[in-house]
Amino acid sequence: MRIALGGREILSHVDADFVQRGINALIGPNGAGKTTLLRALLGLIPHRGTVEFRTRPDGRMPRLAYVPQRFDFDRGTPITVRDLLCADRQRRPLFLGHARAALRAARDALALVGAERLFQSSLGRLSGGELQRVLVALAMLGDPDVIFLDEPVAGVDIAGEALFCDLLVKLRDQRGVTVILVSHELSIVTQHTDHVVCINDGVVQCQGDTLATLSAANIRRVFGEHSAIYEHGAAQPGAHEAGAAACAHDHHHPHHHAPPPHSDGG
Amino acid sequence: MHALVDWLLALVALLPLDWLRDGFMRQALVASAIIAPACAMAGVFVVNMRMAFFSDAIAHSAFAGVALGFLLSALNAASVDPRTTMLLVGLLVAAVITLVKRRSDLSTDTIIGVAFSAVIAAGIAIVTATRSTRDFNRYLYGDLLLLDRDDLNAALLLAAFVLAYMVIAFNRLLILAVNPDLARTRGLATRAVDYSFSLLVALLVTVAIRITGILLVTALLVVPAATARNLARSAGQMFWLAAAAGLLAAVGGLYLAYRYEAAAGATIILVATGLFALSLLVGAAKRR
Repeated sequence: MRIALGGREILSHVDADFVQRGINALIGPNGAGKTTLLRALLGLIPHRGTVEFRTRPDGRMPRLAYVPQRFDFDRGTPITVRDLLCADRQRRPLFLGHARAALRAARDALALVGAERLFQSSLGRLSGGELQRVLVALAMLGDPDVIFLDEPVAGVDIAGEALFCDLLVKLRDQRGVTVILVSHELSIVTQHTDHVVCINDGVVQCQGDTLATLSAANIRRVFGEHSAIYEHGAAQPGAHEAGAAACAHDHHHPHHHAPPPHSDGG
Repeated sequence: MHALVDWLLALVALLPLDWLRDGFMRQALVASAIIAPACAMAGVFVVNMRMAFFSDAIAHSAFAGVALGFLLSALNAASVDPRTTMLLVGLLVAAVITLVKRRSDLSTDTIIGVAFSAVIAAGIAIVTATRSTRDFNRYLYGDLLLLDRDDLNAALLLAAFVLAYMVIAFNRLLILAVNPDLARTRGLATRAVDYSFSLLVALLVTVAIRITGILLVTALLVVPAATARNLARSAGQMFWLAAAAGLLAAVGGLYLAYRYEAAAGATIILVATGLFALSLLVGAAKRR
């Protein structure tokens, strides 16, 4: 795949596979084009080349959902969490009330992400972590097959980070969702993802099973000389890209190496 | 429509109020009580999507629209209704602004600024070139007290259209107003929503110019909706509060116009801004 924006080539040759029903990470330093690639996979920006998804059991195209990184919105807009979720689910205009089925779906989605108590809250008053959860709930409303998350834990505190990682595992294990997330926080990626694709300078530098792929040599290749992964409480000097490990979970679990979205060089 | 307008006028005639003794006042009340809430309902998204400047540009396109009407009348000898050309030019300008906005990376206010200047310049150039002696004032300040039955029918038709549009588009507009990227990934036809809402605003503005005039028509969309935004906690509340503020401003403003013999469009907007000031205080108190 190739992507050029405003005459500048952002990604020159990307050929990557992601694991179906796994947690996939797209990593790379700032400015490497991670978000651009994510948006291209979603079909939000024009690109050359192809993106292939494995079709669903019913033969249809998989449903995609997106949780954007910087969710800029006007925080003064009077809209509740319930309004946002129902607006997505019901035909009846909100000024004529919320539909019962939409309310139920909204409540279920919030329960899934552990945010039932935010049901009546004003969208503009949510914290970063709360907003993130609501956006995941919104994404889950459509019962997606693949969910894309852009820097899901940026601006979320350590405790929130751990909870969020639990949520991703829950989505994968209970809902069979394929998760594709962008992150530059190596700690989260190593602790908690199944598959990793590293990009830098517009090309894929390495990809494969997370633990096998994220060798010290590969990390240096992607993030630069002074990068390393360190475990929580065992800080090493010189590590600047990797943060403290928040997701202390068992990494090993069964997953299928069948590749939905597959983007091929164009 | 005709029967409904008759019925509304008869209803208003039943009110034992001195200031509604004259037929033209009753017509003015019916027209403004229909148009002002319709404007306020659409205004919810003009405010939430920051389209006040867009609405103002459409209002000023009436300069070009009216002048074009004068010009065509002069050329043809047959009379072309400036209301028709005003509406067509308004829709055209709305479509062009939306098209350029979607295709170029210039900021929206720059694009609107260019369109704004172009339509005013075109209006002045046409009027001076044709040495038209016809009066622009009724378009600048509105002519609520000079409406005819056609205007009332058109007002009612438009309000019904706005309400129908809102029933269909409200939820989509809401998601689009929160975040366009999000709307796109939720499978929303953002282009269709974008264009249709721009054209709806153009339609409303060019009709509502009859009430307040070019200079104040944007206030009819923005001020009641902003008032509602200060008070509402949910999207549905904002919608109904905006409509209520619009209705209150229309009735109260018309009464003040009668009482002090002032221009009706101006007094309606004065009441609307007064309500806005109140809502600021109430909103601030509620937040504490």
